[in-house]
Parts: sequence; C-alpha cells; structure tokens
Amino acid sequence: MTVEPRHIEIEVLRYRPGTDAEPVWQSFRVPFLDDTSVLEGLQAIKDDQDGSLSFRWSCRMAICGSCGMMIDGVPRLACHTFLREFFPGKVRVAPLDHLPIERDLVVSAEDFVRKLEGITPWLVPREARTLAQGEHLQTPRQLEQFRQYAGCINCMLCYAACPQYGLDPEFIGPGLMALIHRYNEDSRDGARAERMELINAEQGVWSCTAVGYCSVVCPKHVDPANAVNQNKVNGALDWVKQRVGLKGASK
Amino acid sequence: MIPPVEAPRGRGYRRPMAGWWRRNPYFFWYMVREVTAVGVAVYALVLLAGVVCLARGEPAWNGWLAAMRSPVSIALHLLLLAGMVCHAWSWFDIMPKTMPMLFVGGKRVEASTITRAGWVVAVVAAIALYVVARMLRP
Amino acid sequence: MLPLETFKADVAIVGAGGAGLRAAIAAAELDPSLTVALVSKVYPMRSHTVAAEGGSAGVVQAHDSLQQHFDDTVTGGDWLCEQDVVDYFVAQCTPEMIQLEHWGCPWSRKEDGHVNVRAFGGMKIERTWFAADKTGFHILHTLFQTSLKYPSIRRFDEHFAVDLVVDEGRCRGVVALDIASGRFVLIEAGAVVIATGGAGRVFRENTNGGIVTGDGMSLAYRHGVPLRDMEFMQYHPTCMPGTGLLFTEACRGEGGLLTNKDGYRYLQDYGLGPPDPWPRKKAMELGPRDRLSQAFWHEDRKGRTVQTPHGSAVNLDLRHLGAKKLRERLPLICELAEEFLGIDPANSPIPVRPAVHYTMGGILVDGRTASPLPGLYAAGECSSVGIHGANRLGSNSLAELSVFGRVAGEEAARFARTARRGDNAALATQAGDAIALATAMVRRTDGTERLAALRREMAQSMEDGCGIFRTGPEMQATCDKLAELRERYARVRLDDVSTAWNTEWLNAIELGYQLEVAQAIAHSALAREESRGAHQRLDGFTQRDDVRFLKHTLAHRDGANAPKIGYGDVTITRSPPGTRAYGAAGEHAEAALGAAK
Repeated sequence: MTVEPRHIEIEVLRYRPGTDAEPVWQSFRVPFLDDTSVLEGLQAIKDDQDGSLSFRWSCRMAICGSCGMMIDGVPRLACHTFLREFFPGKVRVAPLDHLPIERDLVVSAEDFVRKLEGITPWLVPREARTLAQGEHLQTPRQLEQFRQYAGCINCMLCYAACPQYGLDPEFIGPGLMALIHRYNEDSRDGARAERMELINAEQGVWSCTAVGYCSVVCPKHVDPANAVNQNKVNGALDWVKQRVGLKGASK
Repeated sequence: MIPPVEAPRGRGYRRPMAGWWRRNPYFFWYMVREVTAVGVAVYALVLLAGVVCLARGEPAWNGWLAAMRSPVSIALHLLLLAGMVCHAWSWFDIMPKTMPMLFVGGKRVEASTITRAGWVVAVVAAIALYVVARMLRP
Repeated sequence: MLPLETFKADVAIVGAGGAGLRAAIAAAELDPSLTVALVSKVYPMRSHTVAAEGGSAGVVQAHDSLQQHFDDTVTGGDWLCEQDVVDYFVAQCTPEMIQLEHWGCPWSRKEDGHVNVRAFGGMKIERTWFAADKTGFHILHTLFQTSLKYPSIRRFDEHFAVDLVVDEGRCRGVVALDIASGRFVLIEAGAVVIATGGAGRVFRENTNGGIVTGDGMSLAYRHGVPLRDMEFMQYHPTCMPGTGLLFTEACRGEGGLLTNKDGYRYLQDYGLGPPDPWPRKKAMELGPRDRLSQAFWHEDRKGRTVQTPHGSAVNLDLRHLGAKKLRERLPLICELAEEFLGIDPANSPIPVRPAVHYTMGGILVDGRTASPLPGLYAAGECSSVGIHGANRLGSNSLAELSVFGRVAGEEAARFARTARRGDNAALATQAGDAIALATAMVRRTDGTERLAALRREMAQSMEDGCGIFRTGPEMQATCDKLAELRERYARVRLDDVSTAWNTEWLNAIELGYQLEVAQAIAHSALAREESRGAHQRLDGFTQRDDVRFLKHTLAHRDGANAPKIGYGDVTITRSPPGTRAYGAAGEHAEAALGAAK
C-alpha cells in the first residue's frame, strides 16, 4: 500500500566558517510520512537538495547521542522528533544552544569530552578482586540506586538546556554531574572522596540554580537535575564534616 | 582534577546569551520563580518591622497594624501572597530533585508523590497556624 | 601546501567501538610504555556497539558447559566455523564478562546478587548476560570510561581513516583526516588493529547506524588482504518496516510470539514447531535468526503477511507479557513502538520484518586476530576470526568484542614492541598519494553523478540480489550493477567543496568503501553453489553441499575489476557436520544422542 507524502518546510540555521560571518537561516521543503523523523528530513535535504548541509547522526534510535539539535527552540534528538508534530507549520532546526558552532548543525563537543576525562568516570573498586573470584554481588535494589544515572547517552541536550552552563561554561554541567553521581551511587565503587572535590567546587554543583530544564529535555530520563541537587546536600555535609574536624571526604 | 584548557578556548562560533530567558517559556517562569524569592525577602522585612514595633510598645504596634490595614498595604499583601504561592508551588515542584531516591516497601517513590506530600504539609500547617492564631486572639 | 602532520604511535587502532576500546585497554595494560593511538571517525560513545540490545554470552549455570556453548555455536554456524577458534572463544567469554563487571558494567541481577542470564535464539541453555535491553550501550560506555584510566591511550576522535600505509610487506600505520579541520595526519605505528565494524549499510533496509559502512574491511582489502565468507549477511527477523530499526531478540527470549495476518504462529510450518509448550529453547520464536528470516520470506510469498506503508510484515505479539514486565525488561522496545508507530506493545502487536543486521564475514584473520599482512590485526564485526561461520548466534557478537578485542590489543602490542621502525620517507610518500586521491574527489568539477543516487541504487540492488533467498541470475544482475556503479563512482560530483566538516565528502569516501565490500559480498554469493546458514538459494542449489562447499570463500581485490574468488579450508576438530535441527526435530536428535551415550 502506498501513502502519498505531504510536504513541510524545514528552516535550518547554517554556518560555514570562512564563508559566513555569522549563522544564517535557510529554508527547504521536504516530503514526509507520519513516521518521518526530523533527521530523515535533514537527510532528504542533504541527499537531494544540498549536499553541503552537515550534521551528526548514526543509530537513528536515540541511543548513540549524535543528533542533538534545537528543534523549534527546544533541545531534542532529531531521530526521535517527528515532522508530523509541526505540520502544517514549518520546523526550525538549529545547533544545540550554549555550545560553539563548528559548522551548520555541528557543535563543538570538546568541552564536554575534556571534562568527561577529568571526573574519574570509572569504577574504583572498594577492594581488589580477581577474575577468579567472579562478579561483585549487587542486588537488584542496589542496581536500581544508580541505574537511571548510568543511562546517559552523552547527547548534551541538558547542556543546551542549562542557562547556567550557557552563561558560564566552566560549570561541569548536568550530564557530567549525573555521571559522577552514577559512580558514587554504585555499591561497588569506593572513590566518592576523590570525586567530592569536583562536586563541591564553584564549577561543581554550586553553579546550579535548580532551573530544572535539563531533566525536562533529557531523552533517557536520567534526571540530571536530581543528580546535581542531591549532591548539594552531600557537598554541604562534607564541608561541615571538615570544619568540625571529622574525617571529611574531599581534601 | 579537570585538566586546564591550554589551547585557545575551543573553536567555533559562540552565540550571545543576551535575552536568553525570553527564548523559552520554561526560562521565563524560572525567572518569575527567582523574583518571587525577592517577594519572600520583602515580606520577611515587613514582619520584622512588625516585631520591632511590638517590642517598642502598644502605640508603635497599633501604628504598624494600621499601616497593614491600609489599601496600599492590602494590595501589596495580595501581590506578595500570589508570589508566595508561586514560590511554594515551584519549590515543591523542584523539591524531589533535591532528594535521594526514596523507596517505600520496595517501590520507588515518585517525584509527584513527594510534591503532593509537600503541599499537604504546607496546607495543614497553614490551617493549623490560622486556627492557633484565632484561638490566641484576645 | 601544508607539511604532513605525523604522529608516532606503537599501536594504532582504527575504530573505537567495543572491540577497538577493548584492544586499546589490553595494549595499554600489557605495556603501559607503549603509545596507543585510538582513531575513530566518531566519538567513541557513538560507535554502533551502543545499539546492541539483547546481551552477551558466557557460560555460568551449573547445568551448562563450554561444550554446549561450542555445540550451539558450531551448529548455528552450519559447520563453517573454525572449531579450534570457537573452543578458545567459549572458554574466554565468561572471564571477559566478569572483567566488564569489575570495570562497572551494570549487568542485570538475580535477587541473590549474582548476574542474571537469559535465553537467546539458537542456544540450548540460558547463558546470555544482559543489562536491561541496552547491553551494548552499557558495555560501550563501560569500556570507554575505563579506557580513560590509561594515559598511554591517545585518542584521535572524529578522525576518518582514508588509507593504511604498508612498507616492506608490513602494515606501518594509518592516514587519517581530522574531520573538523580538514587536515590530514599520518599515524605511524608498529602495528595496526582494525576494529571498524560491519558493512550492513550496503543494503537498503538494515538495523545499522549510518557509520557502519565497511571502512576497515575495504582498507585491508585494498592492501591485498582477502575478505572471508562475505556472502553470509545476517538478517534479523524482527525489525521495524521502513527504518529497519531493531526489536531485540530478547523480546522473543521473554516469550514474544510471531504471528501472520491470521494470528497464526507460522514458524511451526518451517521445522521449528511444535508451538507448545512455550517458551522452549531452540524452538519456534527462539530458533536461529536465519531460519526465522527465511520463514518470513515464505509467508510473504504465500500472501500471509500484514501490509504496512513500508512493505509487508508479520506481528510481534508481546501483549501477554503485560505492561509491568514490558516496562521493566523491554523499555527501549516500548519506546520505539510508541514513538515511531504509535503502538503500545501491551495492547497491540508490533509489525516487524527482517532487515540486514550483521556481517558474519570480514577481514581474514587467524585465531590470534592476525591478518596475512604482518602488523595488521582485526577484531570485532569487521573481522572473520571464524566463530560465526554461516550464521551468527545472538549474544556471541558482544562477547566477541571483548574476547578478540583483548587478543588483538595484546598481539598488536607484542608485535609493535619488536617491530623495526624508521624510514618514514616511504610512508610519507604513500600518505601523500592517499591524500591526493581523497582530495581529488572534492576538487572535481566535471562530475555528473549524484552521491545519493549511487548509494540508493547499490542498496536496492543488494536487497534484490543478495537478499534472504538468492538465485544465480539475480546475483549476477547485482554483480553487473555494482561494476557499473563503481565506474560511475569515478564521476561523482559533490555539492560541498569545503574541507572542514565536509560530511558529503566523507559519505563519498564511504560509498567507495561500500561498493568494494558489496562486490565482495555479491561475487562470493554467486560463487557459492549451495545453501548454508544465511546464504540460501532457490535455483537448484537448495541444499547444503559439504562435498564441494565445506570451505570458506575468500574474495581478493582485483583493482577496478570484479574480485577474484578463492577458497580456504575449514578447521573441523570435534564436531563433524550434522543436521541443524531445531524445534521437535532438534529435541528428538538430542534425545537420541543422549540415549546413544
């Protein structure tokens, strides 16, 4: 059975370094069906109208985190946003807010990746364990404690959602705080102390003013706002512990 | 430790942040929430003035009460009340975000449950305060 | 003309998915003094490992054994497996899964805290470790984050490999393009590991991400390394019509059913029954992927499939699992069905059809991941190490990444330590040639062909000629078409003539890789005159022919011509070729075997 496609206008924010002084909007019209995503719309533009439109994508199923964009002013994954939602109006597609634009819809992930490398984002076991000893035991309840935070696909939508990050890119940001929290809450991990310094820093949780939009836009329901704001309590308690002379966490 | 940036700060075009809070309704309401905190501070000062007047004796106290009853004051109070409700609403909304995961009987407690619990406590406390205030009227 | 930037590494790894990351960690652990260059055209967390859902195999249960995992794998591979390599593989799976757990992988657990395992297609006993329905995602992120511990691993993120450099008969490094800047770099190394994944994108409907374009296979192929068993392309039976997105095998592991338009569980008509009791291992919906895909094809021919806007389909019925279990065990599936199709799996069945999913074949390597070209290793889906044979069992692929990723990293590190270095002039010249070739495409002004047109024609032709069932004439037509496309490829004209972030240029280079890999697939398929595993013919060669074809196909590149097809022996140790029996026939066979002992 063939279904006749409808047509929709997609307006894209272009930017070609060396050619454009600043980003400029460009309009295209593409055919679409009920299950055509914005990503497929962009691919149709690139394949058949303008091959110079650059954007990141891969899995098409909201798990690789490549295709984050501002779609009608909201940070969303292009592969999981459907053109039917905007019809008969037009849809405006721009690169993620708060991140520098490298080209067209491609933003720089350098800051995010550099910070990711610095937060001790690996399991530091509480005690050494050989392979022969088998797996750590971890109950479903213990797994539940951190599972949601481990679901972050590094799509950076939360960075585009966070005005504090936009105003001060020194802020670690919601996604990475969630990753720090993922490891802290993992029953097998013993490096909470190492990570406390990052949490309690000015560019750690204290840059967050609980706007909460990060958790609204997160496509994987990681709830980074929760990770950040829970750690305000942890950070404050740690500060008190140190002042009182108790063996605090951070050095 | 996050390694410092050695090279010039990242490549790419940086868009200005000016007017960011007007770009998205969510941000607008966030700013309103932040402004209501100012309202809370203002009302705290009003109450503080009342306490100071009370300490100064009956004439001062009556003067403060009279000022509170003036039309300007009533209008301001209504405005502040609206702000307080807005503030409480947004605060209870964000409250679950500040708490670690809660489990009751093996099941995860939903954020909406925590928010509702907050409201219940707030309303009950407000009613209790009112009742006590009425009982203590001379 | 800017001078060529050079980076001196000991081990260079192309591809930072599960296998590449595991190799990098293994090399770094073996010898922290070695520099490991990890080159990837995307950030590591975007690698397609991330999309794998169902799980990774590893024997744990008391009533399970390595012998049984071995038997399931060799049978599933229709006896085209290198049995000595399978022996090694099954013994390494569990330790590698435990290693991942030690590194933080959040495996799903039983109440007592031990790792949980579930049933998977073609496997007699539950041995599939899983992390909800996002196993690949969790494995990839665990490996990536763990790799950050090792200062000797130097990443080249968003660097696109355009060629290998080979000197004095040894692989000596990689030439890569820094996508963001448009500048090239020569990464000179003592040994190179290719871990670039499969080539499913050469087919029209596939589960793969856009990056799965056979890059590394083509790079090795262009330097004289044969591609082995390329005709064996796995169709995954339960994919979304249109996009080809995967509905994990775990749906069936949890008890999901496949019904035709009459609500009938049709698999019982294809040697996989009886339908009850359900669920039952290696029967009905838990049969192997090739059998299920073939059954779909037959149902479609009989007109018993459901029609959707994107073609015919059958029903994946998960309703009886109930909303609670669905949300808990298969959350990703629920999301996909709801957002794309507006279907709640608790209330309606999901339309599914087969789509290309996995490339069994790949770069010829031995059991230690060494290719015939000294200094060049390969691991993961891009390689043919010999464990999948003619058809891969689900959850063996994720396990492969860890087992052979580690081997490749260690072997490459050992080779690099003793490899003689020096004389980079020859390498620089080669690099210069590769760069000129790549850049010529962007500079071309008199081209007449549009990139997307060529890609679509290739993908359609591969689906037509190298689909679930094949015939000689159709495969020949595809071979002819690919020859024509390769010729037209030389006349591609790009819209985008910039050098920085020119993804059209990258797509064009990828198409070049894809056309060559597609030729290897099509010609290998045409030459195999039998039906085995995922290669099934309708034109007289409908049975397995162990006399003529119990051997591996080897495709050798021949410049602009079609590849030359040769053959290699299969290593058979303990398991002589038998019948692949599933369902009731399988149970009878097993019972008979048990009685005979």
